[in-house]
Amino acid sequence: MENEEKKYEDVIKALKGLKKVNAPENLEADLKRRINSEKFPEKERKSFWENIFVPGKLIPSLGLVAAAVIIFFVVDTNSEEMDNPFLIKPRIREDIIAISDSEFEGLETKKEEAPKEKSIEKDEPVLEKRRDQNELKTSDDKMTTGREKSKEVQVPELSGKQHYATDQNVAESFESGGYKAMADSDLSTASVSPAPSTVDSVRAESEVVTGQSISKDELNFRQVQTTMEEKKVLDGMKRQMQSLEKADEHQK
Amino acid sequence: MDKTLRELSDEELILEFQKNNTEDAFNILVQRYKNPLTNFVFRFLGDYESCADVVQETMIKVYRYKDTYSSVAKFSTWVYTIAGNLARTEYRKQRRRNIFPISDYGEDHKPYDLPDESYRPDVATDSGIKDEIIQKALLKVKEAYREAVILRDIQGMSYEEIAEILGVNEGTIKSRINRGRAQLQELLKDIYKE
Repeated sequence: MENEEKKYEDVIKALKGLKKVNAPENLEADLKRRINSEKFPEKERKSFWENIFVPGKLIPSLGLVAAAVIIFFVVDTNSEEMDNPFLIKPRIREDIIAISDSEFEGLETKKEEAPKEKSIEKDEPVLEKRRDQNELKTSDDKMTTGREKSKEVQVPELSGKQHYATDQNVAESFESGGYKAMADSDLSTASVSPAPSTVDSVRAESEVVTGQSISKDELNFRQVQTTMEEKKVLDGMKRQMQSLEKADEHQK
Repeated sequence: MDKTLRELSDEELILEFQKNNTEDAFNILVQRYKNPLTNFVFRFLGDYESCADVVQETMIKVYRYKDTYSSVAKFSTWVYTIAGNLARTEYRKQRRRNIFPISDYGEDHKPYDLPDESYRPDVATDSGIKDEIIQKALLKVKEAYREAVILRDIQGMSYEEIAEILGVNEGTIKSRINRGRAQLQELLKDIYKE
């Protein structure tokens, strides 16, 4: 042990020779101050809930909550009044004639009932024949729609542009009085009308195929202002139509 | 009364303070121990301000927990144990505070060592500077060795007392002291050459 102390003699000497460090002069005064402050401790700490329910904090917080509730209801009612864009029905375009199949059938039945009631007794055998023909055709085409039927019927006899009347043709037929014939005839579809040259065939077929009459009011054709030359041409066509109608009547 | 109190030993004073809550007894104890404790804590920490705080806190603990003192142990042992624990806590706090990557300050972000000029023999001429060098060397010694060396060679305590303060047996204390001294000798070899 003594050997070890001799070994580190210099170190021990150096450490013992270090100056003594004294405490600060105000240590005792500070100590007394701290002890006295501990003797009279500060007010007891209030709990979290006690702190919350202090009127100074409670009133503004309640005000905030009330404001939040009011804002919520105002915003909510506004949102209810607003229309959901996905629930708005699209506007119906009046310039387009659209007839559903059900309407088409309804009109057909009306058509069948009204003008033909008078001649039911007279035409009973003929009607029966036609019904039989209709039943045969409809039974064949059970799976097809009304439109498809009309197409199938029209296709064999009518071909090309002639078989489908343009707006102009329809207008001409109305002007020439041919509209009566067209109105009387059973049209398979509202949008398709036969050309004047194929009136008979269309009439015959339209009787077979379920069709309907379309009044002039129901149609919404484009009004075309014609020149003098065009009027002459139209007059010629009208005359042709009338002559054809007369011939048809004579044949009957 | 005051004279008689001053004549009392440390243990008698603390007992007086425990039983009768005599604050004068406590004040006398503070007067007796403030400088030795300051010296011990300063040599351990190397910082005077924090040393003063630790000493004050030690006295506060003595005042607050006077009833935990048992008359079996020496008062000095008890008070040094408190001071040593507080000093160690403070030292660890300081060390955590002072650790920062020096490489952040370099342009090339490479770590480098700062040259320590304090050990140059031509600088260590004045006794004040010598004290500073020894203090710096002391702070470089391992924490456990340093505490034992300070209590033995600076405070002049017996191995038995040191063992009691640090809560380890005497053999451990002796080895710690020797290792601490060896480290110091290595650190201070340039001074001894002169």
